[in-house]
Amino acid sequence: MKRLKTVADLEKLRAEAVAQRNAKDWLEVCTGSGCLACGAEAVADALDGEIEKRGLGHKVGVRRTGCHGFCEGAPLVVIHPSDTCYTKVQPKHAAPIIDGLGAGEGPVRDLLYLDEGTGERIERLQDIPFYRHQERVLLGDNVRIDSSSILDYIAVGGYGALAKALSEMTPESVLHEVKKANLRGRGGGGFPAGRKWETTRNAPGEPKYVIVNADEGDPGAFMDGSLLQGNPHSVLEGLILGAYAIGAAEGFIYVRQEYPLARKSIEIAIEQAREYGLLGRNILGSGFSFDVVIHRGAGAFVSGESSALMSAIEGRVGEPRPKYVHTSEKGLWGKPSCLNNVETWATVPHIIDKGADWFRGMGTEGSKGTKIFSLVGKVKNTGLVEVSMGIPLRDIIFKIGGGVPDGKSFKAVQTGGPSGGVIPAALLDLPVDFDELTKAGSMMGSGGMIVMDENTCMVDTARYYTSFLAHESCGKCVPCREGIRQMLAILDNIAAGKGREGDLEILEELAEFMQVASLCALGQSAPNPVASTLKYFREEYEEHIRHGRCRAGICTALIAYEIDQEKCQACGACQRNCPVDAIDKSEAGVFTIVHEKCIKCGACLKACPAKFGAVVKVPAGAVLRKSAEEIGLAGTSR
Amino acid sequence: MNSRRMTVIGPEASPPLDVLIIDDDAASAEACRRILEEDGYRVAVAGDGEQGLRMAEADNPSVVLLDPEIAGVAGFEALGRLAEAASATVPVVMTGKGTVDSAVESMRLGAHDYLAKPVNPERLLESVRRGVELGRLRRRAHAPRMKQDLLLQALALLEEAYSLGMGKRTLLEELAGLETEAKRHAQSLGRTWDKGRAIAEIREDLLQADAIMRSYGFRKNALIQTLLDVQEKFHWLPRHILEWISGRLDVPLREIYGIVHFYEAFSLEPRGRHSFQVCTGTACHVRGSSELLSRVSAALGLQPGQTDSRLTYTLETVHCLGCCALAPVIQIDSDYYRDPDRSRLDKIIKTMQREEAQA
Repeated sequence: MKRLKTVADLEKLRAEAVAQRNAKDWLEVCTGSGCLACGAEAVADALDGEIEKRGLGHKVGVRRTGCHGFCEGAPLVVIHPSDTCYTKVQPKHAAPIIDGLGAGEGPVRDLLYLDEGTGERIERLQDIPFYRHQERVLLGDNVRIDSSSILDYIAVGGYGALAKALSEMTPESVLHEVKKANLRGRGGGGFPAGRKWETTRNAPGEPKYVIVNADEGDPGAFMDGSLLQGNPHSVLEGLILGAYAIGAAEGFIYVRQEYPLARKSIEIAIEQAREYGLLGRNILGSGFSFDVVIHRGAGAFVSGESSALMSAIEGRVGEPRPKYVHTSEKGLWGKPSCLNNVETWATVPHIIDKGADWFRGMGTEGSKGTKIFSLVGKVKNTGLVEVSMGIPLRDIIFKIGGGVPDGKSFKAVQTGGPSGGVIPAALLDLPVDFDELTKAGSMMGSGGMIVMDENTCMVDTARYYTSFLAHESCGKCVPCREGIRQMLAILDNIAAGKGREGDLEILEELAEFMQVASLCALGQSAPNPVASTLKYFREEYEEHIRHGRCRAGICTALIAYEIDQEKCQACGACQRNCPVDAIDKSEAGVFTIVHEKCIKCGACLKACPAKFGAVVKVPAGAVLRKSAEEIGLAGTSR
Repeated sequence: MNSRRMTVIGPEASPPLDVLIIDDDAASAEACRRILEEDGYRVAVAGDGEQGLRMAEADNPSVVLLDPEIAGVAGFEALGRLAEAASATVPVVMTGKGTVDSAVESMRLGAHDYLAKPVNPERLLESVRRGVELGRLRRRAHAPRMKQDLLLQALALLEEAYSLGMGKRTLLEELAGLETEAKRHAQSLGRTWDKGRAIAEIREDLLQADAIMRSYGFRKNALIQTLLDVQEKFHWLPRHILEWISGRLDVPLREIYGIVHFYEAFSLEPRGRHSFQVCTGTACHVRGSSELLSRVSAALGLQPGQTDSRLTYTLETVHCLGCCALAPVIQIDSDYYRDPDRSRLDKIIKTMQREEAQA
């Protein structure tokens, strides 16, 4: 029978699982969403095929794992146990990779990470700068686990914390450990998880519920989805531990609709945990019973808010309600309900396993442990990054992220998603933790970190988030609904070159009002993108308003495309790529843009070969002036 | 097909089956079934002669496609018995042994048409079309006798309605309402199907909606999950299904519409068979997703949120697909592309058009 009845059963199974793993070399193929999009499945199939062809099945295996984090190198393959890390692997590399496993062959050099600074190839994963500066407590196992295999999780120590808690600890001591660790919620607010757990535990009313918030709605953030997809059992184990500490018998996992892979992964994990008796009645013979239900989200940003999320689970419209009484006391169906996000739950087994003191050894005074960020945007090494709290922003962006690509200069980094703000270059040495980010006018949020360079317009950035929020505001309270709409109207005007003096003051006034008067955190934090860009980049707004100029060349109303008649080689690439036929041949036999038709999509700029560089972005005013000149010239020649 | 019929609530009242295939070559039967179902026919398959005859009697199909070489009750015997049953059913023979003898024998036993295997799809469709037409004429001729059967079924229904405290008028009004929905639905999809076909179609829809609700134990609090499943199955939420769910779960229709309008995942418009989703997450935005969007929009001739009139493509934007390293990224059906240029897009669209034309 598979069902584990005691802790000893689990340990016996673990020994078997470890022995099975150690019997082979493993090719760990990342099948996170980024690698899948780059063809990881074909790579894994090719490796499987090559192993079968050579009859090496008893010595080498392929493991399809979750996101390794280093998305820039996608598709990734890591060899276990040598930790050789291959980047940008294609199916044709299957044979050389397997050759490389043999004695004397050595790794396939061309697939190793190339350090641009030193010009050297780096073999082992942990020596690559992207990984070297990280502290991968939660993400580390993603490389070593096939998420569809509970045995993989058990082999790396999984469910050990649960066994420890159920056999050696009382619910009170589990709660005490989490409180002592000072684990703060990773979903955005940073509220101490232990205190939340205690409130639910002590609140009157039965049954009590525990909930995983996997409604990762911030655009540009994908760590929760990747964690849930790559290591679902860690989240589940954390949830079971929480339920044990709080005294809940039922849990819910609310998964974002846009994450079908993560949903499938957690579905399989729950199924397996039930089979092995790690969910259900009398877990590991402890007398404690607990089970979980998955609830799919249906695509609404505000539903990630705790009271809204609970409404959605109840089958109603996912709108927030006023929280005179916290959901931890009266939540789902009016019962005490403890909600934490994916990363928070996944941290719990590590705390129980290694102790609160170990956890407190990482991080800063107010923020302990590690935090996962999704490092994206204008940065060389895009990917998922886990670091100790308190690491300077500069280290994340430059040491781990490798800085800004294409020789452009760094302008700002946006953290905290639509509720956060931008942090300018002057504050790059800021230590990253909950309190410091808030002081700088941004917030930790769930951990999105979007790097922006000189070609990112700050007005456009503020407008982007505001328009996102205008779409996502549930409309229940007036300050949020109308405030965001007015802000957006003003920002639209500014971006269109129709800004007026006084606009910035109105924006500031609106921001202040919304922060105080909105019903939920969405509205209260909605002005942050505007407020922080205004605080650090006011001159860019003023340029838009006073001079109709967008220095980043982004606001389409303020720019135009031109073809340099001298440089154009008449290759026709621009014309072929123009979606609206706005490119004509001029009298000189080269190409020219018909501005009346142009939709400013930039296809011509992209298409023009770099060696010609004939298509250029210019301020819109330049085009207007030029046509005026042309008219003038025509007038004099007659 | 049969398992779906088991889910009928109340007296058996299935609309007539169009085609019954009796063939022990499963691959061939499946191929024929697919061709016919794609053209909108209701098809069932029987693996041997006995089962075939049983189903022919029970389901009264318009056309029976029969391979006389099957095992069990010899095919020619089955053919003979089918023809003798003097029902409205039209037998059509298809065989891999295209000898003159077998053709003559088939016709002598009452086959309406004779097809050689492997079956040419166009020839098959033509033969079935004529067979169904003929079946309909024969059925009409039998109508006076069949009316009595129908009345028996209707009486059983009426009896059931009275026992539930529902008047005859209410029942008829509800029925008329559903028929109006069926017509409206067929029209909204630009179909020119007849009454019977339109009703058969929404009946099938409603049965499927029931199956989804049943999987959640008809629980009201599973409404969002139910709607998500309907959306996944149909790619949109047709009105007749929403009204049906409203009645079945006893949730006011306005509440359902409230939910449908609130969440992004739901669509009240039909969607195309191919989806183009341009990611407008922050990472994609700073790396030029708006330029990508206008390129895709121009290539398809659609604005975000729109579907073309032939229901081929839908263009949408989505907030973060979770593969930010590829930014700016577009998901076309299940594949991801990193910032495709105009010619790449044109190629993808052309491939789709070619496939559509072949289908």
